[in-house]
Amino acid sequence: MDLHTAIVKSEEKKISLEEAKKFIFSENNGAESIFVGRVRNENSEKKVNAVTYDSHDQATIKSFQLICKDAKNKFDNNARIFLEHAKGYVPVGDISILIAVGSKHRDEAFKICRYIIEEIKHQSPIWKKEHYSQGGEEWLEGHSLRPKKNIK
Amino acid sequence: MKIQLKLYGPSKILSDKEIIHIEVPDNSNIDELRKVLSKIISKDNSKSNLKNLPKTAAFFSETNEIIYDNYKLKDKELISIIPPIGGG
Repeated sequence: MDLHTAIVKSEEKKISLEEAKKFIFSENNGAESIFVGRVRNENSEKKVNAVTYDSHDQATIKSFQLICKDAKNKFDNNARIFLEHAKGYVPVGDISILIAVGSKHRDEAFKICRYIIEEIKHQSPIWKKEHYSQGGEEWLEGHSLRPKKNIK
Repeated sequence: MKIQLKLYGPSKILSDKEIIHIEVPDNSNIDELRKVLSKIISKDNSKSNLKNLPKTAAFFSETNEIIYDNYKLKDKELISIIPPIGGG
């Protein structure tokens, strides 16, 4: 298997950079590209303590698989890809998403990484709720999956 | 008839329950469900931040396929509401 995708429940496990590196390693590949998304301590001038991620797990995994297969078809069919996204309460500094790509050359590795993160933001049913230092919490606005022409 | 709506993301503001039951006219489609949701949200001031949800949400069938406005709902059918997404 050259593709690993998962939703990781934050109360059970942390996303591991070491696991990702181990998975994508191959002597056939000369390049590795890793994107790590972490919870930031500020958004829109509000201090953030943590983010809770929610996901429609089955549809998210289906979208992850499709996006990764598309990326391989577009850039390098032999690429090895590790993709995990957190679900649940994730404090500032912890990993929310990790995309690791092993590919023959650097150009493909960079492009696959970038392609996957951008497509996830537009296709995968994942939501985030920010928790603020001053109290309160807020679900963030996102990208509608309803066809634009139908939104009046 | 009643349908079952599984809540995700910001739609969880609608209820503490994972699945809510919504009364819709017989033979309703998704478009009619949007109207019913609008009425439910507009009746409750504490839900005013969801006022755009009925028009911006997508819906998934039980088999996780997107279902469109003309999709005919069945009595007791379980569907998911998919508010605008924003992972990563």
